[in-house]
Amino acid sequence: CKKDFFNRPPADTLTLDNFYQTTDQVQAGTNALYNSPWFDWNNKASWSIAEMMGGNARTYSPDVINFSNFSVTGDNIQLSAAWNALYSVVAQSNGVINNLPTHVAKTIPAAVVNNALGEAHFMRAVAYFYLVRTWGNVPIITNSLDYVNNYQVNTNPVTDIYKFILNDLQFAEANCTAMIRNGSKTQGHVSSGSASAFLAKVYLYMRDYANARTEAEKVINSGEFKLYGVDIAGKTYADLFKTANNNNEESVAALQWQGGSAYGHGNSQQAFFAFTSQITGTGDGYGSVAGSIDLTSSYEAGDLRRKPTLMYPGDVYPEIDQAHGGFTVPSNAISQGTSALLKKYVVGTPADNGGLGAAFSTGVNTYLMRYAEVLLIEAEAVLAGKASTTDPAALGPVNKVRQRAGLSPLTTVTQDNIMHERRIELAMECDYWFDLGRLDGFNVTSHPKAIAIIDNQERGIYSTTTPVVVWSQKYNISDANFLLPYPTTESTLNPKLLQAPVPYHF
Amino acid sequence: LIAMKLIVLLMIVSLSRVSAEGFGQGITIHEKSASIPAILHNIEKQSKYNFFYEKADFPTSLKITVHFDHVPVETVLDECFKNQPVTYRIFQQTIVIKKSVAPKPEDIVSSPDTTITVVGLVQDEKGRGLPGVSVTVKNSKYSVNTDINGRYHIPAPTNGILIFTFVGMQKQEVAIAGKTTINITLNLATEELGDVVVIGYGTQKRRDINGAISSVKAIDIATIPQPSVDQLLQGKAAGLSITQNSGAPGSNTSVRVRGVTSLSGTNEPLYVIDGVPISGDANNSSTSGRSPLQTAAGYTYTQSSVSPLAMINPNDIESIDVLKDASATAIYGNRASNGVIIITTKRGKNGNAKINYNGYAGQQQVSKYIHMMDLKQYARLQDVMSDIFGVGRRPDLADSSLLGAGTDWQRLVLRKALQQSHQLSVSGGKDGMNYYVSGGMLQQDGIVIGSGFKRYSFRSNLDAQVKEWFKLGLTLAGNRTAEDVVQGDNNGIIYNALLQAPDLTAYNADGSYSGPPASDPLSVTGVINPVAQAKQITNHLNRSNLNTNLYNDIRFTRDLTLRSELGGDFNFSDNNLFTPSYTWGRFVNTNASLNERSQQSTYGIWKEYLTYQHTFAGKHILTALAGHEVQQANWRGTQGFRQGFYSNTVQSLNLGQATTATNDEYKGSQSQESFYARVIYNYSNRYSFTATIRKDKSSKFAPEHQIGYFPAFAASWKLSDEAFMQNIKTVADNIKIRLGYGQVGNQEIPNYLYGSPLNASVTGLGTGFLLNQIANPNLKWQTSIQYNAGLDFSLFNRRVDATVDVYKKTSRNFLFQLPLPAYLVGDFTYLGGINPPYVNLGRVENQGIDITLNTHNIVSEKVKWNTSIIFSHYNNTVKELGTGLDELIGKVTNGFLDVAATRTVVGGPIGEFYGYRVKGLFKTDDQLSNAPQQFNRPVGNNSAGTWLGDVQYQDLDNNKVIDAKDRVALGSPNPKFTYGITNNFTFGDFDLSIFLYGSYGAKILNLLDRTLGGLAGPYQNQYASVAGYWTPTNPNTDIPAPKVGTDNPNIFVSDRFIHSGSYLRIQNINLGWNVPARWLHRAKIGGLKIYSSVQNLHTFTSYNGYDPEIGASNQSAILTNIDNGRYPLARTITVGMNVQL
Repeated sequence: CKKDFFNRPPADTLTLDNFYQTTDQVQAGTNALYNSPWFDWNNKASWSIAEMMGGNARTYSPDVINFSNFSVTGDNIQLSAAWNALYSVVAQSNGVINNLPTHVAKTIPAAVVNNALGEAHFMRAVAYFYLVRTWGNVPIITNSLDYVNNYQVNTNPVTDIYKFILNDLQFAEANCTAMIRNGSKTQGHVSSGSASAFLAKVYLYMRDYANARTEAEKVINSGEFKLYGVDIAGKTYADLFKTANNNNEESVAALQWQGGSAYGHGNSQQAFFAFTSQITGTGDGYGSVAGSIDLTSSYEAGDLRRKPTLMYPGDVYPEIDQAHGGFTVPSNAISQGTSALLKKYVVGTPADNGGLGAAFSTGVNTYLMRYAEVLLIEAEAVLAGKASTTDPAALGPVNKVRQRAGLSPLTTVTQDNIMHERRIELAMECDYWFDLGRLDGFNVTSHPKAIAIIDNQERGIYSTTTPVVVWSQKYNISDANFLLPYPTTESTLNPKLLQAPVPYHF
Repeated sequence: LIAMKLIVLLMIVSLSRVSAEGFGQGITIHEKSASIPAILHNIEKQSKYNFFYEKADFPTSLKITVHFDHVPVETVLDECFKNQPVTYRIFQQTIVIKKSVAPKPEDIVSSPDTTITVVGLVQDEKGRGLPGVSVTVKNSKYSVNTDINGRYHIPAPTNGILIFTFVGMQKQEVAIAGKTTINITLNLATEELGDVVVIGYGTQKRRDINGAISSVKAIDIATIPQPSVDQLLQGKAAGLSITQNSGAPGSNTSVRVRGVTSLSGTNEPLYVIDGVPISGDANNSSTSGRSPLQTAAGYTYTQSSVSPLAMINPNDIESIDVLKDASATAIYGNRASNGVIIITTKRGKNGNAKINYNGYAGQQQVSKYIHMMDLKQYARLQDVMSDIFGVGRRPDLADSSLLGAGTDWQRLVLRKALQQSHQLSVSGGKDGMNYYVSGGMLQQDGIVIGSGFKRYSFRSNLDAQVKEWFKLGLTLAGNRTAEDVVQGDNNGIIYNALLQAPDLTAYNADGSYSGPPASDPLSVTGVINPVAQAKQITNHLNRSNLNTNLYNDIRFTRDLTLRSELGGDFNFSDNNLFTPSYTWGRFVNTNASLNERSQQSTYGIWKEYLTYQHTFAGKHILTALAGHEVQQANWRGTQGFRQGFYSNTVQSLNLGQATTATNDEYKGSQSQESFYARVIYNYSNRYSFTATIRKDKSSKFAPEHQIGYFPAFAASWKLSDEAFMQNIKTVADNIKIRLGYGQVGNQEIPNYLYGSPLNASVTGLGTGFLLNQIANPNLKWQTSIQYNAGLDFSLFNRRVDATVDVYKKTSRNFLFQLPLPAYLVGDFTYLGGINPPYVNLGRVENQGIDITLNTHNIVSEKVKWNTSIIFSHYNNTVKELGTGLDELIGKVTNGFLDVAATRTVVGGPIGEFYGYRVKGLFKTDDQLSNAPQQFNRPVGNNSAGTWLGDVQYQDLDNNKVIDAKDRVALGSPNPKFTYGITNNFTFGDFDLSIFLYGSYGAKILNLLDRTLGGLAGPYQNQYASVAGYWTPTNPNTDIPAPKVGTDNPNIFVSDRFIHSGSYLRIQNINLGWNVPARWLHRAKIGGLKIYSSVQNLHTFTSYNGYDPEIGASNQSAILTNIDNGRYPLARTITVGMNVQL
């Protein structure tokens, strides 16, 4: 038989050998970095870690209940899901970083190639930022092929991982295209400004307030992003979490889901957040998680962010289940022992979302960062560790965020003010646990302040008896609880994960 | 075994009263002055007949001339022997020629001791007189032959012994004991009959083979009511370990020929059905990578593959030959590393047409129920659950005196189910044209509600002797199956039925389906109503298959034949998974959805091979084969999805909302070209030598690695034919020693592993591209090397026949997907991860022994008792893994958790269980404070702490901490041995067969012990046996106290969940009655047999689940014997009938 008879490349996929030949291909080459590799992180793991351990949310769901009571073991499926997903992002980003330069056609403009490489560095940095905050020391991988024959690698220390993240973000800042956000749906890719914003956040974690401020102000002064409802009139905090407003002017970086697509390509959070399938219209809507007493009692009176974050009985949501004239939360609505049901990222039926949607698959973007957070970073960078400040550079941004929430302006700003604002502003956006983790310093092993907060958090429920009392659940945690165990399957394959980290060779 | 089979076969034949004289093969012969042996040889060549005769009976000087076209063989033989003093008889395909000597007066020599003259009749088993039988007085020279009617008379001493001998028949000795009339029946000496074995690209007589080949004939499996041929082979052939991976109709079976050789690829053998090779891999891992059956989203590690062999009607099968050692399989080269099973279907024979009906109907029953808590016990448990979850107790369960027994969910989802099979076949032949046409129908309702399987099968096998030198034939089989599949295993029907709360009923008062109450937040751990799940969520699979082979033989000379074959296998399937809209308690779906898949695959093979056979100098028999073949496989499938249906009744994509539509396609192809040659040399029927070589070129590998060579050698020595062995022949005979060595390959891996595909992926930004695979351009053939030594012998005048084979099978450079850590490859590929590369890695060894023993315990005319024993043992050891690869973990999802259930390490077997060892329960404060800390959980009476009543594990690495490193091997899922014992009894017109099957020494990991005995959540029923869990007032127990969450250390995999998998099963009892011919004669019925059978009557086992035969999850070698809610096997009672007209 002829040689061709034995040449059977895939008939249903492209291959590296015939890709990256046009500008369109190079640009599309990064699309997937915003999607399915993040799925298992977005699905359950991110909120199990950040919201349930942080004390914002509670559950009875047996697969994730151990996050809320600090008893997660290396066998936990969502623990593995978090690890696997974040390293999927790393692996796919590495794929672009390593393959694009060697396979790209010479005719493609350098700026196009560099922008794509910048996006890949950005995504890798964000993944490592979650990894280092969840597990501490983890291995830095820049090319999986290097380790195929010897995959038992050591972890690298937290400080090296932060340095690696800074390098990646600086690369992204230098190589990604600058843009001014106009709310157009095509602006889903990250920009150099997105990288600057993340640099600000990473510097803040490192308590490098000067650089954090520099980067934050770079973003603020560029005018690339705007605060919905303040800079952009006619919009509200609630509008941020509507599918129609994906990639709005406030979106610094976001995962790009496709509503109604196959499992793994849509946003599945609504399936677990929505407390009834009347809301989703797609059979899911399990109410697997709900707001904790500690979170609900933290809201200031009149905070406009409560209703877009948590549904209370009697609340009306005209945008949900529009076919039946909107959704009114029943007076007896209860989920996970509380009546504080989740709203954020709950977007309703497919019909409410332009006909797009399916079980485990809405089209609403998941924010990696919003401009509101950049403002809060700026304020905290200006505060720079001091007990309080009245510096307008700090007050201005905080009060801009409070203004949208319908709250009176602050006259002085403390770290507690900022922590509270961050908690409420970013509730269910997977941040609070990590904020608690940095409260006592950068890369510290002792967490007295955070432990004091958590020990006092009410994680129980209101009773079903009359009169209503609190069936209390509180947990006394230790410093060791601030890092999660490595997935057992990983530490079994590679016992070196459990050894002391070794410095990374930059 | 062979003897037994032939005897039973002959019984059927005699029943059918098809006279042997009716056979003929349409002989065409033109010989001038040829010797009789030459003519007989010619007939042997062009027909299926074998001759037995003494050369000395035909002097070479005797030359005759014959000219015949398309005549029955009898015509030729009658012409040949018309002037010769011989007679002949035809037994099936064997013709025995014997000198016929009419008794002459001078033969009867007077003897001084003669006191009487014994007279009598010698008959064959069909009651026909046998002429030419030698009747001898023992220890004397007195001998006579029977006359043309089989009668004899011989003078003999009153206390003497008569010996009856005849070529092709078993010798018999009868004591005279004063009798003057002795009538006897001689039985066929089956070993002499040259049982034919299919060896691949040819056949050989059983007595001539050099390799290790087990054979199963139609009769061995004819009355066992199993729908699929792989299931039928269980316990019938040594060296095969067969487990039904699920009791669901149409589900897959694991067939392991001599152990397990591949870690991540398939271990299923290659099936060659009438010349067309078909992989036994139910996962299609080397082609599309997809099972035709989909599972509902979110169900992983559930049985999703369906048996490729369920398409074949077992009633059409004539014989099954299992090629076990590499010297036998090498002719199949690159696809042979898991053994080759050759299936030959029935073909027509010259003579009167036969119409055959074969059918049975019966009932399948549940053979066991698991004892779960009743409502009272359950209510008490719910109180405790409420307490540990920190909520108020349920008022509805407060007064246990008001509670009855509750709902027995097992009895709601399990049922008695119908099974029936009917097959009608017509076969015959005339003027060189033979035909076999059959149609069959099988219906097997599942014992789980909502499941069932139907098959319609048609077959037409034709052969035509067109010219003396040219023969052609066509095999054409069309099959259609329809399956209703219910969700199995984890979160499946059985799992949920066991777990469902007994206080719930299946239906609400208004007749709608119920479910855990949405009003109670704790019910989030409750499970979906399994009755509703089984009946309402439908998963329907239709498969159509066309399997065909067209061949022709061209005979260039008497010795040289060219065979050409064009074969194909075409599969088309549709699978519809419909989830209706429903409200079942807290389980609500307002949006019905439909996922439809349409799939097709085509496979074609073109073979050309030359066979040369010649006998030199009467002693040197040479058979040489050389061939070339080309194969190609194509596959594709599409999938469409919509939701938002307004009705649950009409299920079509058209009725879903167009905006929700998604679709998908996959396709691909592969190709292969092969050259092969084989030489079989036999000297004087004593020494034989086989050499085989095959060269394969496959599209599976990068161009520089596409070619593989697979050589094999085998030799045998028929010891008992040596002169020095003549003295022991009366005790031991037919002694043959066989030795074999060979290398075979494996390519059952996905396509294009040498490159890097970029998979298109849907994103919110438009189509994206994901790296799918870490390429390995150096990927090459896996080689399996096998040594085999065999011994065949028979004892006590063939009352005992035995075959023993020992082997060592080593897979080198086996094809294996490297289990890279997630920090290198991320998640599953459908979630954006990258497939780790396939590599050629390490070494796995299987050593074992296969024993087949057939005994004829009672051989009298009226009563016969034969026993057949099959024994298979193997030891599977991983000898080498890649550097740095210390262990390979097999994970299963149980509940919503991934459970690391097995590991594979160097020095251990593939897929051994591993976990913790339990020391006991924490029963005292002392133990709590002194024991090593477990899993970083401080002492404390809460869900995150370690407290009294919790399981205490052993600190096996002695580091004063209990963690993942304290896990050790907990046993192997591989049995130490498996065995099958078949006893066949015949009492006149009745026959009885009792078939026992057993497995010894395997371990089972029962993950249901976690779920059903874990005491970890409310709204879940539990084993009745765990009702006595630890409490401060019930301290003397080994059942741990209830604890929150399924991720709690009490229910980590440990030796608590490991059970013995040994069992002995009464697999089948079959009682048949052959209605006497004299009763049928008037009705013009050729034969009628009525039988009744019980399948899976009883299993002797200590296992606590439904059935200790667990099998593998989707045939996976590293996920074997893990019970996760397996669909149980049914007990089947059938009544059947076999009618021949």
